[in-house]
Amino acid sequence: MTELLKLDHINVDIPIGGGFMKPKLWLQAVNDVSLTVAKGETLALVGESGSGKSTLGFVVAGLRKQTAGTVTFNSSRPSVDGKAPVQVIFQDPFSALDPRMVVGDIVAEPLRLKGVPSGKRAARAVEVLGQVGLPPESARRYPHQFSGGQRQRIAIARALIAEPEMIVADEPLSALDVSIQSQVLNLLDDIKQQHGISYLFISHDLGVVRHLSDRVAVLYLGRLMEVASRDDLFETPSHPYTQALLAAVPRIGKGRRKKEQILKGEMPSPLAPPSGCVFHTRCPKAQDICRKERPPLSPAPGRPAQLSACHFKD
Amino acid sequence: MLRYTISRLLQAVLVILVMSLLLFMLIGLMPGDPVENMLEGNPSLTPETMAQMRALYGVDQPIWTRYGHWLVSALHGDLGYSSVYFRPVMDVLGPAVVQTAKLLVLTELISIPIAMLLGAIAARKPGGWTDSVVSLFAFASISLPGFWTSLILIIVFSVKLGWLPASGTPLLGGASLGEQFYHLVLPVTVLTFFHVGPLVRYVRASMIETLNSDFVRTARAKGLSETTVVMRHALRNALIPMVTVLALGFGSLFSGALVVETIFGMLGMGKVIYDSISNIDFNLALVGLLLATIVTLLSSLLADLAYAWLDPRITLK
Amino acid sequence: MSTVTVESRPAKAEKNSVWSKRWDRFRHNKLAMISLVFLLILAIACAMAGPIEYFRGIDANATNLLRRFKPPSAQYWLGTDDIGRDVLLRLLYGGQVSIAVGLLATLITAVIGIAIGVTAGYVGGQFDNILMRMTDCIIALPLIPVLIVLGAVDLTKIGLSPDAATSPTVIFLRIVIIIALVDWTTIARIGRAGAIGLRDVDYVRAASVSGAKGRYNVFVHVLPNIATPLIVAMTLSVGRIILFESTLSFLGFGIVPPTPTWGNMLTNAQQLIISAPMLAVYPGLLIFATVMAVNFVGDGVRSAFDPRAESSSSH
Repeated sequence: MTELLKLDHINVDIPIGGGFMKPKLWLQAVNDVSLTVAKGETLALVGESGSGKSTLGFVVAGLRKQTAGTVTFNSSRPSVDGKAPVQVIFQDPFSALDPRMVVGDIVAEPLRLKGVPSGKRAARAVEVLGQVGLPPESARRYPHQFSGGQRQRIAIARALIAEPEMIVADEPLSALDVSIQSQVLNLLDDIKQQHGISYLFISHDLGVVRHLSDRVAVLYLGRLMEVASRDDLFETPSHPYTQALLAAVPRIGKGRRKKEQILKGEMPSPLAPPSGCVFHTRCPKAQDICRKERPPLSPAPGRPAQLSACHFKD
Repeated sequence: MLRYTISRLLQAVLVILVMSLLLFMLIGLMPGDPVENMLEGNPSLTPETMAQMRALYGVDQPIWTRYGHWLVSALHGDLGYSSVYFRPVMDVLGPAVVQTAKLLVLTELISIPIAMLLGAIAARKPGGWTDSVVSLFAFASISLPGFWTSLILIIVFSVKLGWLPASGTPLLGGASLGEQFYHLVLPVTVLTFFHVGPLVRYVRASMIETLNSDFVRTARAKGLSETTVVMRHALRNALIPMVTVLALGFGSLFSGALVVETIFGMLGMGKVIYDSISNIDFNLALVGLLLATIVTLLSSLLADLAYAWLDPRITLK
Repeated sequence: MSTVTVESRPAKAEKNSVWSKRWDRFRHNKLAMISLVFLLILAIACAMAGPIEYFRGIDANATNLLRRFKPPSAQYWLGTDDIGRDVLLRLLYGGQVSIAVGLLATLITAVIGIAIGVTAGYVGGQFDNILMRMTDCIIALPLIPVLIVLGAVDLTKIGLSPDAATSPTVIFLRIVIIIALVDWTTIARIGRAGAIGLRDVDYVRAASVSGAKGRYNVFVHVLPNIATPLIVAMTLSVGRIILFESTLSFLGFGIVPPTPTWGNMLTNAQQLIISAPMLAVYPGLLIFATVMAVNFVGDGVRSAFDPRAESSSSH
């Protein structure tokens, strides 16, 4: 498979506070993350809130500049004015749409920014609205006249109209009612099948991730814990953190989970990450070496495609 | 808190310095120059002596040099001589500050209870008829030109009815305290009416918010009388942010004082500033304006500090 | 054609419905409506000053000491002033000046305030800090004294010829500009708050992903979304500016005679309180009524544009 996106040793440090007689603090939101996404592939970014998954998504979308490392797109099309062929879908469908614009204008905005003439982009907007299951007359309405699920469809239409090669979807389902979630999830799935678009799918919902993704990357405190294909990760999780995450998913009828897999305590502050392996404060397997040495990302025993950053990986 | 205070004080000093330079430049743009104004109408003056005088007083120097000289002597306590009042600037401003302080303190003492009362009454039933009347009153207060209110009150109470004097200070020195207050009635009335409108609107909004809060509901649920709820619980909490409003209103109150003092012929700060600018008295205008600015700045600084100190919920960055 | 449903209304109709709902809410505010009608009548009357002068054959500026202090009559509806000029005509001409200053200065205030506030809020960082310290300084100034100094500035010292410095147009523009110079901070604060709130909102981010630059985001997304508070603030600022202008003109640092304004018509009134008290009543009453009406309209606009009422327009 050809790589569409290559992230190489990405760091994002965010300055916090500072001011009169106070030193500036640096929050390591993302630390030394390297990842690739192939054409048409869906990579899920998984982690607790504060793990840096949204920040990483913003870097890919060009909304935030990384402090170190490189982001490379191997676009198959000539790039227009250096812009990456990326679009975004946000979590909150209410703040994602400008309340003062009609839906047709909202959806057509990426084309407007490319300089497509207005008649042409209006026709295209109606066409794309149809693809996401909305009637043509919705183009003339305002966002407040739509429900949360419909708004998310509009946001998806806006992302589609620019014919991106990749869509960064930042928790696109978590603000929706459960009954709506599956509809939107199926829509995202259909789009993937029809258009061959790659997704960077940011989520904390492992059920959704299992349904949609090809590969999964697990983040903790801005660091990559594990990267593997979906099946490897869900069937034979290698990193203790991944194991704990999977164990935390509520299940019915599968018996009690093993005690040691329950995550102890709180996530440490990203302003003062623990030494060595950042997970050692909560890890059931932690030894001395974990406090001193940061484990490299390396293949799990017997599974060369499953990378895991742990001294004692399974 | 200490760090916050120090940082705010340092900032204030810096702002005052910048303001002094700005005012210095601005005042330099008034017509003429000090030497010309001083010697105006002296026929024996040749252009040469004018130039010598200018050199003597340093008027021909570039503005930075002049500002530097002024700043140095100002910091040594020498603020120059007023060409309108023929006295040192400090001697003019001293009594003027006292006069204005009297006017403003009296106004605040009357305005605050009125504003609290009206605000509380209006807030009890938002949209009711008392609320409408109070809000009409507040609108009138912010819409009335102070100078016109003064004129009308003088026409009615001094000219037609002859009840109250049209001047804000007794003509002769050594008047009794009662006499002084008698003269202050009209000026304070005008200023209070001007000042109270924004305060009422503020108290009302703040009271409505407090009356809808959970702790007031609890107080009501306990069966306390409405008066106790309003007076003991709601008003108190509504008052904390009022400190800020009072301080922020100070600048506009001072502007009002200038107009009132001018019309009622009271030698306060406002009238002194007005006279100094009308008669192009550079020294007096500069120091008078700077003083007014410093007082306004300090009052807003104090308000911020008091606010932070009174309200435990405010965490300082 | 009866199958064509309301669903297929054109875009324009949808847009208008937002405004027609606002107009509906405004119309039901009695005070605001009365004020609006009053302001319209006043504006028309003031605009008629020239024609009235022409048809009645009276020169508004001609002095005649033989007809001083005439009581109201068929010829001089509100009588004459201390030097025999028609009071009504002068009031109407004064209204033209006051209203023009109010509107023009508000416009300039808005442009300066929006430009500075929105830029500061959108760009943020050190730029924002400096601009906000600047507005703090201006807010700390006692306004009327500062306006008086600005009004006393000798324009020949900043490069104007003596003739230009005393021309009525320059005097008019000078008062507009000095008021705008001190009054832009309110609008700047609103603009800044709006821009800060919207800078990181998702729909602006989405546009940025598609290649939108700051200018596009400000004009397409930020400004339309903060239009409501800006319109309200601008309305209220018209009233405040009319008060400033009249106070300055009254004190002799605004618009100077012979051009009449409501403020400078009162300058002499203090001396004439005993002989002609009504001369002090009319101009002030007009200032009061106008400012009050403007404030009521502003209040009406505020509640008509209230976002809580706005959201109820969804189905």
